[in-house]
Amino acid sequence: MVLTPDFDTRPVISFQHVWKRYPTGTEALRDINLVVPEGDFVFLVGPSGAGKSTMVRLLIREEKPTKGKIFVEGMELGRMKRRKLPFYRRKIGLVFQDFKLLPNLTVYENVAFALRVHGEPDGLINSRVAEALDTVGLAAKELTYPANLSGGEQQRVAIARALVHAPRFIIADEPTGNLDPATAWEIMQLFLRINARGATVVMATHNREIVDLLRRRVVAIDAGQIARDDRSGRYHDDASKPQVRAQ
Amino acid sequence: MLRNLKFALNSAWQSFWRNLAVSLAAVVSITLILILAGVNLLVGHALSQVLDGFKDKVSTMSINVADDTPLQTVYSFRDQLAADPRVASVQFVTKAEALQQFESDPNNAALAQQIDGNPLDAKLEVRVRSLSDVSAIDALARQWPGVDPINPTNYQGDFVNRMLQLSQWLGYAGVGLMAILVVVSVVIVMNTIRTAVYHRRKEIEVMKLVGATEWFVRGPFVIEGVMTGLIAAAIALSVLVISYPPVVSRFSADITFIPLSYDPTFISSLARDLLAGGALLGALGSYIGVRRFVRL
Repeated sequence: MVLTPDFDTRPVISFQHVWKRYPTGTEALRDINLVVPEGDFVFLVGPSGAGKSTMVRLLIREEKPTKGKIFVEGMELGRMKRRKLPFYRRKIGLVFQDFKLLPNLTVYENVAFALRVHGEPDGLINSRVAEALDTVGLAAKELTYPANLSGGEQQRVAIARALVHAPRFIIADEPTGNLDPATAWEIMQLFLRINARGATVVMATHNREIVDLLRRRVVAIDAGQIARDDRSGRYHDDASKPQVRAQ
Repeated sequence: MLRNLKFALNSAWQSFWRNLAVSLAAVVSITLILILAGVNLLVGHALSQVLDGFKDKVSTMSINVADDTPLQTVYSFRDQLAADPRVASVQFVTKAEALQQFESDPNNAALAQQIDGNPLDAKLEVRVRSLSDVSAIDALARQWPGVDPINPTNYQGDFVNRMLQLSQWLGYAGVGLMAILVVVSVVIVMNTIRTAVYHRRKEIEVMKLVGATEWFVRGPFVIEGVMTGLIAAAIALSVLVISYPPVVSRFSADITFIPLSYDPTFISSLARDLLAGGALLGALGSYIGVRRFVRL
């Protein structure tokens, strides 16, 4: 049995009996029920192919559920019209394992890019980008190109880009996957600070040390199902503890 | 809106230079297509000029008047023809005037000296408005009692019909060639631009992930396409404008029986057609080429 934690705050994300079957026949998700309240910090953990990435793809509406409903801030993603999709994506901040920076733009331009596509005025872009780069500690490197940055710095640029439009909800897919442990830890500190300011964070990760150290909510996915949902969990289930805990 | 347009113009310009190799490939292929299209237009225009000249000649017809026809009969037939809506003008040329015309032509000088008396007929020179009506007017003239029964008119039915057929077929060929060129060019431009877009699919992916609308992503590509098309049109136009007069003069020197001539007024309409065609081709090619990658 899987319990969904019952929080007082309103849910930012809610999966209701979500199934996802790909055209190839692979059943990636089976009857997922999950509620993420505002301000929560959730780790999605599990072996490769368990369905974490599918959940992320559903959340950013790259995919639609085969069955069931997904609500984000009250909007049902499966029924969202294509032309509304860009406006939905502007409300969320996305961070990926491979950073997804544009190599021909400087650090400043990469971060500003997220605001340019929204059609924001230059003055606002300037101040917001400066603020975001300051938050991630890269104000001094705004004219550098991504190729001249370390992996950790590139990921910080990506985080600045995800933050620059002040989203209330951040989705990160293996953000520390390409980084050494010390750098991964620095990046995690950034996410914690963002979360402390009120943003909801959903992070798919393989990084056991970090999950175990931070003791945040852990949702373990296995073979397309939620195997465990611990309020302050570890990466691996502790056999001595009950399978499901809610604090 | 204006900010988005500024962004689209900026990024189109930057991307044109950043992906110079692919941009140049697109420019070269559109230029070649536009040169072909321009040559097609120029040849079509030259042929229609030549044909117009021929048409003008064959649509003027002489009706030879028999020597013993009373002047009154000739005048009444002349008035009948003049009243006919198919006829542009009728002129009566007397025997004396016909002889004078004949003698004044330097080609006939030797022959004119040997003429005894006046063997020429008086004639009605009729200009018919449309080439296709010439045969009807000819039939009318042959039924007129005052016509010279041995040599009624100078109408060459076969020649006129062939001219008409030729001009019709040339028209079809021009349209057909143009249609093929348009299809081929859209496919080439589309593929060239798809290559350009493929190089930038990562950028497009990022744009879509940070919330760019389809038109925001597509806009710079379409503008880049228009830019590419306009540059190609300018090059094609220069090539054509520079080579048009010498080709015409060489042609008219070598093949004298076709009266081809240089027509500077056609250049402005050619420029308009090529620039519009280039811009449209570039825009259409980009629009289709980018579609697969842009859809959310």
